[in-house]
Amino acid sequence: MNSTTANSTVASVFKPPQSHSIPPLNSSNRSPTHIQFKPDHSNLRAISTTSLQTPHPITPPQPPYFPANLTVSEKLQILISEFKSLPEPIDRVKRLLHYANLLPPFDESRKIESNRVTGCTAQVWLDVMMDDNGKMRFIVDSDSEITKGFCYCLIWLLDGGSAIEVIEIRVDDLREMNVGILPIRASSRVNTWHNVLISMQRRTRDLILQ
Amino acid sequence: MMMMSMEGLAVKLPSFSQIITNPNHHSFTHKPFSLKFRFNFRKSSSSLASLSVPAAATAPVSLGHSTRPDFEILHQKVNNGSKLVYLDNAATSQKPSTVIDVVNNYYRSYNSNVHRGIHFLSARATDEYEMARKKVAAFINASESSEIVFTRNATEAINLVAYSWGISNLKPNDEIIVTIAEHHSAIVPWQLLSEKTGAVLKFVSLTEDEVPDIKMLQDLLSKKTKLVVVHHVSNVLASVLPIKDIAEWAHDVGAKILADACQSVPHMPVDVQNLGVDFLVASSHKMCGPTGVGFLYGKSELLEVMPPFLGGGEMISDVFLDHSTYADPPSRFEAGTPAIGEAIGLGAAIDYLSQIGMQKIHDYEVELANYLYENLKTVPGVRIYGPAPSQTVDRAALCSFNVDGLHPTDVATFLDQQHGVAIRSGHHCAQPLHRYLGINASARASLYFYNTKEDVDDFVRALVDTIGFFNSFN
Repeated sequence: MNSTTANSTVASVFKPPQSHSIPPLNSSNRSPTHIQFKPDHSNLRAISTTSLQTPHPITPPQPPYFPANLTVSEKLQILISEFKSLPEPIDRVKRLLHYANLLPPFDESRKIESNRVTGCTAQVWLDVMMDDNGKMRFIVDSDSEITKGFCYCLIWLLDGGSAIEVIEIRVDDLREMNVGILPIRASSRVNTWHNVLISMQRRTRDLILQ
Repeated sequence: MMMMSMEGLAVKLPSFSQIITNPNHHSFTHKPFSLKFRFNFRKSSSSLASLSVPAAATAPVSLGHSTRPDFEILHQKVNNGSKLVYLDNAATSQKPSTVIDVVNNYYRSYNSNVHRGIHFLSARATDEYEMARKKVAAFINASESSEIVFTRNATEAINLVAYSWGISNLKPNDEIIVTIAEHHSAIVPWQLLSEKTGAVLKFVSLTEDEVPDIKMLQDLLSKKTKLVVVHHVSNVLASVLPIKDIAEWAHDVGAKILADACQSVPHMPVDVQNLGVDFLVASSHKMCGPTGVGFLYGKSELLEVMPPFLGGGEMISDVFLDHSTYADPPSRFEAGTPAIGEAIGLGAAIDYLSQIGMQKIHDYEVELANYLYENLKTVPGVRIYGPAPSQTVDRAALCSFNVDGLHPTDVATFLDQQHGVAIRSGHHCAQPLHRYLGINASARASLYFYNTKEDVDDFVRALVDTIGFFNSFN
């Protein structure tokens, strides 16, 4: 293997730090579908990564590369093993509540009917955008703390993903997220995250069809 | 002295009562009626007089304790090993062993299609099925068993009235009065009906005490009113409506009345002739019976002139290519093969409940209702919906509530996961009511006669812990 190939191999899994950060969205040529973030949102991914890598009884695998390059299914495995590592319901609930606190604030003016995820026992608002790189961005809020925690995990999974990744993730893949919190495997109104995922996918589809 | 009477047997009660209340003592779970150990002391009985009975032996065992052994499902651990505390009875009730055995036995011994066959099994199935119908009729004091139509559940029964009676009796601008506290099954069919017929729905709202405003209902009644649809007992507010009075007022203006008795028939004596209702619906699964069967009670003179609801076998008399003639009620409204075993199971549930006595069940539940309300009220931050119990106001044994600053789903999830307490959270199929109360959802704890005060204590303790837990996060 010559050095060029080696370098390119390394380059494909190791992005330089500056491209890890969320691209500046205060660019002047925003189109209506590329909604700008508040500046503090730019730390969303950094925060989410850090929190999931804080010491747990069983530490999730430390990726050798920046989390920006984790595939959705890799992230899913991390998430599942994290919750499986917490056998007591009280600990799982605590973890979800901790994540709920990490969600960035949701602009009250965006809590409009079209942003409401229907069919949930809790109220959930979801805003779906595509950033300048064509990646899907999501923000979410709920009046239920446990739901917020769940949604945080969903967002961590899919935020910054490509539209295809978001659309192609199967509900079944996420069933394991039910581990320990809700024993229900089937989708129903109680599985708020299921409804949120469906909504994320539908609106992603709508955005790319525009 | 020989102890021949039940009273004499009762003297040994201290040890028996321990056995009854020990949920792990399975030898009693197969006894259909542990009620033989009920304490009916006749103090004048001479057989007791000569025995020195310690004071503790005369302490009555509550209905909850005496019936619990009949319900195996209640004796289990859930989630993190907490014992199950089942407080979701308004959603569905548990079934005593005797009902399960009866359904089992039907399938094992004489399962066969009803009404058509002439062979041994079919004759037996038909007999038992029709006996179940008679039991339902007797249970609610219908004048004939042909006034009982078996349906899939109360929702289907209401739809039956909407599509059969409603379509042929309602014209544009006719009025249907419902309350905003009705279950969706008592609202949506009428909305669908009003689209088809041009009839108008009028809604009765609540008083300050959070009960349907009876004065408003009276004011809304007019010559235009053709139907009044009201719940007997509210599954959210726990309030009870004066059905007999409402029926009189409805009849005074020439309107019919349909009573949704899903939360009353399981919990108290209901006498349709006394109430004077034209239609009444209830579900088997809320009254210790299997799911998959419910019933419509309709006055004979009404059912006789109602057109069919579902078309198919059994509800016909003759079928030609260009038309068919229809059977008499109740068959006219029972198309296809019914839930035979389940209807027979409902009959067994009625036997079980009747053996205890609906008045006794009701009296015990009033006690439980007050105990639940009073204890829940003491928890800081809890807001209970519906009227406060008083001398004049009985509440059903359920409380819908919210906790300041917490979502009911979070409360219910933690109660379940950490404490094994099963309650419901959501809108309980009463979105208009929740909207009226200004909330999105509520939590609900609902009891039945096999619950005990200890269940209520466990629930309240768990709730306090839950609230403490969530508050520690803020």
